Amino acid sequence: MNNHRIMVIDDEKIVGDMAKLSLEQEGYQVETFLNAEPALKRMQEEKFDVVVTDYKMKGIDGMEVLRTVKDRYPATQVIMITAFANLDAAIEALRRDVHDFFPKPVKIKELKASIKRALDKVA
Amino acid sequence: MRSLFRSISRRPRDRAAFEQLFHRFREVLAGNNRALEIITDMGDTLGGDYLFDIQYVNRSYADLRAAMKDSLNMFDELTESRYSNLIDIFTTIDVRIRRVIDDTETVPETLVAFYEDATGDAAGSIGNKNSNLAEIKNVLKLRVPYAFAITFAGFDAFMRYNRIFEKIVPPAHGSSDSDSARREVHELVLHGTMPPELSRAMHASVKKMKEQCGMACTLAVRSSGGEEDGAFSFAGQFESILNVPLEATAVEKAYQQVIASLFSDKAAVYQAQLGYDLRTMKMSVGCMAMVDAAVSGVLYTVEPQGDPGVMSISASWGLGTSIVEGQVDADLFRVKRSVQGEILDSKLGAKATMVFSHDHGDVLSIATPEAKRARLCLSPEQVGELYRQAVLIESHFKLPQDIEWAIDTIGKVFILQARPLRLTRHEPPDAEIAKSRINVNILADHLGKTVQQGVAAGTVFLLKNERDLDSIPRGAILVARHDSSNFIRVMTKVSAIITDTGTPMSHMAALCREFRIPTVVNAGNATALLTQGQEITLQVDGEGATLFEGMDRELMERAKDRASTMENVFEYRRKKYLLRYIAPLNLVDPLRDEFTTQACKTLHDILRFIHEKSVAELIERAQNGVKGGAVKLDLSIPADIMVIDIGGGLRNDPGTGHVTPEQVASRPFQAIIRGMIRPGIWQSDAVALNVNDFMSSMLRMPDITSAGDDHVETNMAVISKEYANVSLKFGYHFIVLDCFCGEIARNNHIYFRFAGGATDMTKRSRRLQVIAEILNKYGFNIKTKGDFITARLANISQEESDEVLDQIGRLFSYTRQLDALLNDDTAVERYVKKFMDGQYT
Repeated sequence: MNNHRIMVIDDEKIVGDMAKLSLEQEGYQVETFLNAEPALKRMQEEKFDVVVTDYKMKGIDGMEVLRTVKDRYPATQVIMITAFANLDAAIEALRRDVHDFFPKPVKIKELKASIKRALDKVA
Repeated sequence: MRSLFRSISRRPRDRAAFEQLFHRFREVLAGNNRALEIITDMGDTLGGDYLFDIQYVNRSYADLRAAMKDSLNMFDELTESRYSNLIDIFTTIDVRIRRVIDDTETVPETLVAFYEDATGDAAGSIGNKNSNLAEIKNVLKLRVPYAFAITFAGFDAFMRYNRIFEKIVPPAHGSSDSDSARREVHELVLHGTMPPELSRAMHASVKKMKEQCGMACTLAVRSSGGEEDGAFSFAGQFESILNVPLEATAVEKAYQQVIASLFSDKAAVYQAQLGYDLRTMKMSVGCMAMVDAAVSGVLYTVEPQGDPGVMSISASWGLGTSIVEGQVDADLFRVKRSVQGEILDSKLGAKATMVFSHDHGDVLSIATPEAKRARLCLSPEQVGELYRQAVLIESHFKLPQDIEWAIDTIGKVFILQARPLRLTRHEPPDAEIAKSRINVNILADHLGKTVQQGVAAGTVFLLKNERDLDSIPRGAILVARHDSSNFIRVMTKVSAIITDTGTPMSHMAALCREFRIPTVVNAGNATALLTQGQEITLQVDGEGATLFEGMDRELMERAKDRASTMENVFEYRRKKYLLRYIAPLNLVDPLRDEFTTQACKTLHDILRFIHEKSVAELIERAQNGVKGGAVKLDLSIPADIMVIDIGGGLRNDPGTGHVTPEQVASRPFQAIIRGMIRPGIWQSDAVALNVNDFMSSMLRMPDITSAGDDHVETNMAVISKEYANVSLKFGYHFIVLDCFCGEIARNNHIYFRFAGGATDMTKRSRRLQVIAEILNKYGFNIKTKGDFITARLANISQEESDEVLDQIGRLFSYTRQLDALLNDDTAVERYVKKFMDGQYT
């Protein structure tokens, strides 16, 4: 068991549920959100080490999440996942210091490895 | 012989028409390949190793559907619409898949269905339990009590009519319904009103039931869960009402009690564990004539622990309710599967109580009379009959089964339920850890009967009263006097379960296997042996439990990990469920008769059917004769073969009407010729005839087969770069070889037919045996009938097919005079061996 906190934001419940279950197996504390607004609000109360966010969401999208997180909590690592292999978005995300960028479907093993690397960066 | 050719003979086609046919064949293969690649990708992605979203599912299925449609259209053209109902079958499966993808409501169709009418789509609306029984009745023709089912549509109608979900407080965004909301739903369902249309259907069904079973008949009203995938058993989680009077109002009341149990406290824990949402749960209910049971029980077609070659049957007097609730020490019969139901051993159980239908509804448990307790409640003949029926059921559903059965007072066997049996997974790594670390004080060895193997460590919680269940601490080892399906309430908390009594066939046992909780039952004195709060480690293997003093922390952590799997995510399970309509392959053996359109249950089946029938079509048309553009192949052996090239099969055709083997560019045909003309085989004349004379006699077409059909007179090969269809007539026997050998192994096939011979039937059949055994060694699937052999090999690489075709070419030559030499049965083995050793002389 460790105390790392991971947040997963995706407007599809199945993604959050699956991510939560597999990441909790690694001993992380995981919170999931279906949209970005309450997620960002929650970040004001609690520090998260890694935020995994969908790129395309209604309301605040993944890029906005990345921007906000990097502004407010520079140490927090952001991993972006997207249903579309969108090169422009990937480039912009990289410019904004995204930790990783995955097209969906995402291999859970790779996501876990990426989170581990992100946490090494934080530590 | 003539009939063989007649049966495959239609009007001859010109080469251009055949080329077009071949083009369609390749299009079919291309469509199939695209579809299979998508199926593989979906299987991988939905397998639990990937995060995926609904868009992925939508996109993949749209692609798959398009590929399937291309294949189907091309196949329909290829076969001139002879299998047009395949398109209807595809449409039915497609509708089911899209219902899962789109989460659409069940179409309000039939509200009530009798088992005998529950076929096709209706079977999908009555839940697993009902539809399995309907299949057992309708397909296997085994005896199932007369019954009707209230469908999911009936359930939807009830919920809609009573506006159940409109009446409860909606959950906050992103969260699930509260316990109080669930309890409210439970009450609303229990006290709701039957919708008029459902009530009418129930009245009509009850009336029909009375006509069929008589006025005295009563019903067992039982749930048949809404989760179609059957991944979870729900064993004992829902209400069953027995001995319900055959009156519409009583049946309606029982129906409401049963569907209300979907929202009960007991079921809620199980459902929460599996990520269910209150609003998506559905239930079908079966109303089944009660059997006047003299004996009943449970049969496992495979022992969940221990010997997979053994079937086990537990039996007790009266109704089977006490066995499934684990409350009675039943008789136990172990039956050897391989020897037609030979009883290995039978153990007399105490059978302290027996349950019977009460005269005024409900059931009654009484003390078993001494005389009945003292004897086994099944005769060897009855065990044999149960064995026979169980084997049928298991082979039909293709999985080990957990079967509830009853035998009535006049000795008729009834099947009451059949569901897949959960087998224990072995977990050796943990077991080894336990052995290496815990070599301290052993408290007990070989304790009880194994339900679920595994290792656990924790503090003992002695359960004195079921009311105390809620106070069990997380990670504790539950030790109780009796087993109970109520333990489901704590199954997510406890790390192991030990009970003094009980059977491995109870509902609780099924649930423990499902949740993979190390469990032993019938442990005798565990409650006396262990003390409240004692720290222990237990290791359960096939021989029962070993208890060690003290506990290992690492083992405890591991136990926690095991509890959660992706299957616990409801949405995941639901999406994964659609694979059931896509990926499994039921049409395994194309040489068997049930290779029909009706047998296609999944998209994979349809693709398989399309492939096989396309190959068959190609063979048939090629055999039918292709006219025009034939050239003679000059071989070093005296065999005339006319060759028709339909695309890339020959190179540098000089236009002289003759070609040499070097000009053959068809990869499969090259390999065949290589084998045929291999030095040593044509000379391998064991009957010592002059080679030339012998060959010409062998290659001459006897009159009997040539009559009236000029295009089958010569040896012929229709070839392309990757394809060859060769038909040879050697003396009195015929060989047809059809092969496609492209770059993608799964497209490839070799199809071989051999028939006839001039010698007597015994010798001819010996030659067939030689051929069959040789082909068998190369992995062919073979069917023989009389002097006719059909063999096929598929899914092989080009390299493999080169090798096999070379061998078949040799076989052509090797076997042509062989029948005359096979004077006794021992010769068969000898000549097979010679061939395999390359000793052709």
